[in-house]
Amino acid sequence: MKKHEFLTQLSAQLSQLPPEERLELLEDYEAHFAFGRQNGKSEEEIVSELGDPHELAKEALGERFITQEPVYWYHDSSKGQPHSAAPAQRRGRGMTAQVFILIGMFFANIVLGPLMIAFWAVVISIMAAALAGIVSPALLALDMVFHSVSPAKWFASIFMVGFGILLGVGSKGLLKGALLTTRKYLSWNYHLAKGDA
Amino acid sequence: MDISIQFKKGALELCVLVLIHERDRYGYELAQSVSEHIEVAEGALYPLLRRLVNEGYCTTYLQESTGGPPRKYYKLTSTGETHMKTLVTEWKQFVYSVSRLIERGPLL
Repeated sequence: MKKHEFLTQLSAQLSQLPPEERLELLEDYEAHFAFGRQNGKSEEEIVSELGDPHELAKEALGERFITQEPVYWYHDSSKGQPHSAAPAQRRGRGMTAQVFILIGMFFANIVLGPLMIAFWAVVISIMAAALAGIVSPALLALDMVFHSVSPAKWFASIFMVGFGILLGVGSKGLLKGALLTTRKYLSWNYHLAKGDA
Repeated sequence: MDISIQFKKGALELCVLVLIHERDRYGYELAQSVSEHIEVAEGALYPLLRRLVNEGYCTTYLQESTGGPPRKYYKLTSTGETHMKTLVTEWKQFVYSVSRLIERGPLL
């Protein structure tokens, strides 16, 4: 078989491909012939090295399905209609799986739950500190009723007001973070238990 | 279909990726290099190369050559490199497992 015959056969077999793809592939083979000739091979030699055009066409046509279906090397093109993606149906998990997941969640939550509580404790204590700073003049005034108060305490209290305000502003972000984390944590639990996580 | 042909085809993608990883190569050069190691229908290379390009494992660029058509060079992308490394690992594991199984048997 000569080059022309090889390419004609291949071209005919590849008629299913989109034209530009087919042309590109044929160009590849054409170039292969040119390089082979440059290296002093005869057209017949090159054709025999390339292999059977029918097999090659099968390969070229089969490739397009590989991404959609786990085909090993050969693909029967008659089977190859791209499957319309059926909406994935969620099946409820089995009883055993559900039980084990709940057990797993129980142990995970033994650790995670207190961790969340500790996190909240930190947030709340910072906010309490901020509040205490802000209301410190009032507390000091209360103190004055029962004891004599040194003026230094008044200066400290003025400072505490400023400090409390700053701490309060800073803790706003912290509170937001805590709320978000808690919400995520709860919804994670919910979805995991329900089985659609 | 001869089973050993199937083996070779399975290995072809891996061989090609490794060869392109060594340095950028053009189609004919790849065919020659592969044939040095395994006997395979060289024509199967071009559909394979197209697939590698489509899947983003390779890119191509043209370079003029003296007295011939321009050479279409294939270059491995970083995804391609990752893919190659995965394949190499899987290949080694597979060969190791199969060899162990064969050598355990009473055949040899």
